[in-house]
Amino acid sequence: MSDGLDLEIRGVTKRYGALTAANQVSFTIRQGEILGLIGPNGSGKTTVLECLGGALPADAGGIVRGGRVLSAGERLDALFYLPDGIAPWPRLTVEQSLAFVVAYFGGRRELQDAIVAELQLRPLLRQRVGELSKGQRKRALLAAGLLTSQTVLIADEPFDGLDLPQTREVAGVLRAHKSRRTMLLSIHQIGDAARVCDRFVLLSGGQVLGEGTPSELAAMARARGREPATPELEEVFLALV
Amino acid sequence: MLSSSRSFRWLLAKEWRELLASRAWWIFLLLMGPLVGVAFISAAGTYAELSAGGGAGEAFSPLVGIWAPTFSACELGAVFLLPFVAIRVAGGDRQTGAAKIEMQRRKAALLRTSAKTMVLGAAWAAGMAPSLLAVLLWRSYGGSVALPELASVIAGHLLNAALTIALATVAANVVEHPSTAAILVLAVTVGCWIVSFIAAVHGGIWERLAGYTPAAMVAQFQHGLVQLEAVGVAGVLVLAGLGLGGIWMRSGVATRRRVVESALVCAGATLLALGASSLRPSWDLSENRMNSFSRADEAALRGIGRPLSIEVHLAPEDPRRGELEQKTLSKLRRVMRHLEVRYVSSTSTGLFEQQNEHYGEVRYELAGRSTIVRSVTPESALQAIYALAGVEPPSPAPEEIFRGHPLAAPPRGAALVFYGLWPLGTSVLAFLCGRRRS
Repeated sequence: MSDGLDLEIRGVTKRYGALTAANQVSFTIRQGEILGLIGPNGSGKTTVLECLGGALPADAGGIVRGGRVLSAGERLDALFYLPDGIAPWPRLTVEQSLAFVVAYFGGRRELQDAIVAELQLRPLLRQRVGELSKGQRKRALLAAGLLTSQTVLIADEPFDGLDLPQTREVAGVLRAHKSRRTMLLSIHQIGDAARVCDRFVLLSGGQVLGEGTPSELAAMARARGREPATPELEEVFLALV
Repeated sequence: MLSSSRSFRWLLAKEWRELLASRAWWIFLLLMGPLVGVAFISAAGTYAELSAGGGAGEAFSPLVGIWAPTFSACELGAVFLLPFVAIRVAGGDRQTGAAKIEMQRRKAALLRTSAKTMVLGAAWAAGMAPSLLAVLLWRSYGGSVALPELASVIAGHLLNAALTIALATVAANVVEHPSTAAILVLAVTVGCWIVSFIAAVHGGIWERLAGYTPAAMVAQFQHGLVQLEAVGVAGVLVLAGLGLGGIWMRSGVATRRRVVESALVCAGATLLALGASSLRPSWDLSENRMNSFSRADEAALRGIGRPLSIEVHLAPEDPRRGELEQKTLSKLRRVMRHLEVRYVSSTSTGLFEQQNEHYGEVRYELAGRSTIVRSVTPESALQAIYALAGVEPPSPAPEEIFRGHPLAAPPRGAALVFYGLWPLGTSVLAFLCGRRRS
């Protein structure tokens, strides 16, 4: 599925009346990386992801690959978006839901058993999705996302509802799948983001404040006269926001 | 390569599972039994009483005496129960967020709309099962079943359900919340009733519009009359509804674009519906040919070939106008290609027009000659037309006279079937389906 090309997000803008939730948001998703979209609550992370995933119509901007803006159909072929706060197919079992995702999206059936095992879903396979706890449902949805075949997986708050051990385990699973999936993850817990992502896009007030690795972001903060207390991502984040 | 047919099969299976898990559908299914039961038991009882009194003729047509009232329960089901099932199936995915995921593939709107429509069609077919049980019971009593007229009644209710499903699909996709969608669907139903009411009072264009409401369409089918015009207009409305549902189902498309696309669909549907409304072919599938003149009269009328103009001086609410329209003019329209009917009245009831010397007249004009008749019976109309055309009135063949199928058998066992076995059976099935899933 890999085409060896980075995706450029160019000038994504979304307005709700007088409020501009995303303002000329531009960054690059490099092939094979896990990119974290971080920012305070209300910074526009979900809006940007929904625009990229095709769930919301953007007022401006688009996704560019190889110098060409992707059409709506090409975007569907390239990206899969896993929204946060959804409880799909409540009356299907986890097993039925995963089988449906594989068949409906032409997903990777051969990975199903491994992903189910990695995300510890085996005991839940016969349970209805509607009966799962928030954390269990999140893991089932992540499994569904990992089973799809698009090059890029976009996930909104993939660790929301997970406890610390589960967060670490899921982060490990996502890292393990990095070799075959590029990922864009929106994470509001900076510690979680630091655990799983290679690079970061810092969003605040609907605008991109910086993009890069923690050390690159720290350099940006210093260049703006805001020295982070430590080189940790959390301190860099606070220095930049 | 992502196969659409494979995806579609899985979508169908998923929608079917969701339907089986839907309480709304099981409640709909459970209620249809007693609803049909009340109608069938009452109709069969009345039919038996009349038959026991002796006699024969049009009154003993199972189409009018049994099928129309029994299947009218389906009309109630389509208006008051099916919308909730349809909205649940069409819009439930938006509530859970599943739509956000399922829309992320090419042709998703087409695939999802088709799958949901097919599953809802199957849901409705299951809801019609009690009516088919009534047919079996009727046969077991020794009652007569004329398949073409029964097929006409069933087809009418299928088309009516398709209209409801299409309307519910639009509503569930245009508005955010299912309760708002339900109110929207019921508002359209009430709107249709209002159109029918205005038509009864004012006639004219309202009368024509009222002819395309679901209730009017079902009434035609319940009389064994299949008109290509009604089927065509209903088909266009169903497709337009599903198309609009598909347009509003898509996420990530600006509202302005959806509005423009919807306007184009509406404009196209209006043009197609106008075209369909000019389709003249029709078939009288009733065993007693209640929508047709005798074959001999039809042949004679077709042979006239010249334009016939009829001017009716009767108000919309005058019962004579309804009788003339139903028993004469609707039959004439089916056989005379060049027929023009003009209604003349200055009030809706006609009560205050009686002093007008022309009120109550029916003026027939053919080939430059005219005659005025005050009777509204089919016989007087045919007599006037034959006289104007200089045609000898044909005498009907004796085998054409419908003798009726009297049956003095009370509806034995029907109460047990519809009030006992059906609710029990659906409850057990619902329970078993729930257990199988969990």
